Amino acid sequence: MSDPVLRVENLSITYASAGGRVSALEDVSFEIGKGRALGLVGESGSGKSTTALALLGLLPREARIGGGCVQFGGESLLELSEERRRALRGDRISVVFQDPFTSLNPALTVGRQIGEPLVLHRAMSEADAGAQARRLLAEVGISRPDEVARAYPHQLSGGMKQRALIATALACSPELLVLDEPTTALDVTIEAQILDLLEGLRRDRGLSILYITHNLGVVSRICDDVCVLYAGRVVEIGASADVLYHPKHPYTKGLLASLPAVRERKRRLAPIPGRFPDLASPPAGCIFHPRCHFAAARCATEPQALRGAPSVQQVRCWRADELAGIDWPAPEGASPATATTAADSGAALVETKDLAKLFRIGGMFDRTTVRAVDGVSISIAPGEVLGLVGESGCGKSTLGRMLVSLIEPSGGSVRIDGEDLATLRGGALHAKRRIAQIIFQNPDSSLNPRKTVAQILARPLVLFDLARGGAIKGKVAELMDLVRLPLAYLGRYPHQLSGGEKQRVGIARALATSPRFIVCDEAVSALDVSVQAYVLNVLAELRDRLGVAYLFISHDLSVIAHIADRVAVMYRGAIVEEGPVAAVLDPPYHPYTEALLSAIPEVGSGAGRERIRLRGDAVEQDGVVKGCRFQHRCPRKIGAICETDAPPVLDAGRGHRIACHIPLGDLRRS
Amino acid sequence: MAALPRSLVFGGLVLALVAFAALFGPMLAPYPYDQMDIMARMTPPDAAHWFGTDEFGRDVLSRMLYGARLSLLMGVGATFVSLVIGVPLGLAAGYHGGRVDEVIMRAIDLVISVPPILMGLLLLSLSPPNVWKTAAAVGIIYVPIMARLARSVTLEIAREEFVLAARARGERLWYILAAEILPNAWPPIIVEAALRVTFAIMLGAALSFLGLGVQPPSSDWGLMIAEARPFIDTAPWVALAPGVVLCITVIAVNLVGDGLREVLDPRLRKGRG
Repeated sequence: MSDPVLRVENLSITYASAGGRVSALEDVSFEIGKGRALGLVGESGSGKSTTALALLGLLPREARIGGGCVQFGGESLLELSEERRRALRGDRISVVFQDPFTSLNPALTVGRQIGEPLVLHRAMSEADAGAQARRLLAEVGISRPDEVARAYPHQLSGGMKQRALIATALACSPELLVLDEPTTALDVTIEAQILDLLEGLRRDRGLSILYITHNLGVVSRICDDVCVLYAGRVVEIGASADVLYHPKHPYTKGLLASLPAVRERKRRLAPIPGRFPDLASPPAGCIFHPRCHFAAARCATEPQALRGAPSVQQVRCWRADELAGIDWPAPEGASPATATTAADSGAALVETKDLAKLFRIGGMFDRTTVRAVDGVSISIAPGEVLGLVGESGCGKSTLGRMLVSLIEPSGGSVRIDGEDLATLRGGALHAKRRIAQIIFQNPDSSLNPRKTVAQILARPLVLFDLARGGAIKGKVAELMDLVRLPLAYLGRYPHQLSGGEKQRVGIARALATSPRFIVCDEAVSALDVSVQAYVLNVLAELRDRLGVAYLFISHDLSVIAHIADRVAVMYRGAIVEEGPVAAVLDPPYHPYTEALLSAIPEVGSGAGRERIRLRGDAVEQDGVVKGCRFQHRCPRKIGAICETDAPPVLDAGRGHRIACHIPLGDLRRS
Repeated sequence: MAALPRSLVFGGLVLALVAFAALFGPMLAPYPYDQMDIMARMTPPDAAHWFGTDEFGRDVLSRMLYGARLSLLMGVGATFVSLVIGVPLGLAAGYHGGRVDEVIMRAIDLVISVPPILMGLLLLSLSPPNVWKTAAAVGIIYVPIMARLARSVTLEIAREEFVLAARARGERLWYILAAEILPNAWPPIIVEAALRVTFAIMLGAALSFLGLGVQPPSSDWGLMIAEARPFIDTAPWVALAPGVVLCITVIAVNLVGDGLREVLDPRLRKGRG
């Protein structure tokens, strides 16, 4: 192999913090050859972003480089002057950051921003740079580059913004492209488009890519090599095919076992127990041993070094060979994550009929109406989990909030236990609120920072008069037990808890009133995979033990497939397909469901299947919907009928319904 | 409980000293506050008059000790009034939005559009002057600032999921505002309130100068500074002494504000629970 484009050798970085110097990266080495893509994988706090910032020379002031070197194109990056580095950045190395929504300057046109590096590094004239910007926009797959170049960022959708940012990064034909979670903020169908684009660019331009992500599925989709970071140490590195399919390090095994998979219904996920280590005082010996299932006595005393031949698969674990082929264990004795429900056995617990919500937006004069939810009828049986999947802005959160009377419907009805919420007042409504609760997405915002865990959990008990005096303490302890949190946490404030712990307090708070129905609004989306697996298990267990029904809202079909009994697929305010999980995940599909399934990047799903790609983004929904909502993006549109008539609901049996003009027989032959 | 923040302890001590002066000033003062001595006009500080005398030969130290009471009353009283009226208005506007917000904020715009001194004149000219009324008027003048601040903080907090969770379990309005939102809205409000104390003392002095507050020959720090302005180059000590004391008081109030913020916010407390 020729000389690598980038070689990082024994890089160590420390941060100054209140508790002394914290080692953020230790002895990190990897290299990227020309035209190759390396995935840098790890959970939050693993040091993956620090690595990227170090390469770019953008480390914050508190960081200090403890040792090692970074070679780029024969130059040692860490020794270059700030002047020389600035000349490299945006020219030979460029970067795309995570959030396309804040990475573009809202006050400048898109074309100007793409041309900026050309003016700066290539001393091009504004006009030439503009022309080049339009060529770049066309290259990243934007269909009307002239128009988009003149547009301002707020006029573009998320996917188009990310394409524009990639175009900016490509402007000077860099040798190395650093991508920091570039698709995390995007919907899966858009993510799939961006990944296709990156794959094509790599092939056509011979770009080398450093791809930073927490998503192993994305890595398996576009990276040749993968480097797994844990607590600032490389624990495993090698070719993606080896590391992802034959992981050797227990942490890699744990990460893979934590992933819910669409195709394979596991009984319970296998989370990694424990907490991320405090880097100010890391554990002695192997850094992973306190959480490792396979830890032996030697692990606690002996620091581990990377073993194995370089350029093949290297592992930081002395037991790697001995443990070859042994999987991370799943929790025992668990019933299946999804139960076969008695959905057909009579009364629904929650039922909506033609539920609708219109939002008026705009100023005092030109208002428009947005149909966030448009005629949704669903029902959830006691103890059943209905998964609601859809992309951002499809109205799924609005629907969930109407079920717990956080938002007033504009039309239709919500019935809980047979009673229409709209007709209830005062005490009766209060009683319904006790039965129906909600869990939110963001662990940092769902708990009041001024209250201790004990105060947070006691409040619903007092409000609904479920316990008094000394009994409150006992009830709170029970709740802590349910979500498997230690009682010592009762005196803590939210900022003293980790993300997963906060989310479990949020779950406990919802459970305090002994509800029979809980809306889980993206309840695990903000968590790292190993933590997500743990919280999913807690939720599944509570369903089994307490018989709580969930409306489980998520954009992630694999999470839904794992926990739900039935699935409803939502697109632009309406349900397009609904049915038992197994039925929805197999043909016949609604064309949208088919595209969603095809877009999910999963380890082990790469080869063989033909990929279906949607064109464009979801269009803003205004006023009246004519014909099928999905017509603008549908890859299987059959003609004029899709534009004029609302699609009929086809019954595929076993409660599986699809709203589409294509006959069932044809949908089956996908 | 961890040790109190140092800023709170220090600021509290200084404030206690000022409060002590306010309470016992008349007993501590070496001279009556209104005793004139035409022969000793504008004497620089010396053994008999530690801080010198003013243009009527009155002892500056004595006047300052007497004035502490009225000044504190003006500063703290006015700030208290602005908090009591402004914060609930801001909370209501920020939380409800829509028409409630529209009505409250337009009313507040109306108050802001009148210059403060004019507003004070308007409020006070109808009945005979009285220190309490002046403090209340200054407080009302500052209501818009408090209301706007409380509103902007509330707007942000009302979107947080813990507020949604409270609504989802059917908490009453007053509980959501008082127990969920207000504790998180305090920090910026406290900082602003500490600043307001100073401005209130100065605005109160300006109104007193126009004959609508403290009536001469009574003394008040703001009034003393205002009255001493014409002689600032010949007898700087007359303005300097109350100026320095006012400054120290303001710093103390700010320190206490800072310390309170730290005590109220668990995230700023040192160490883990």
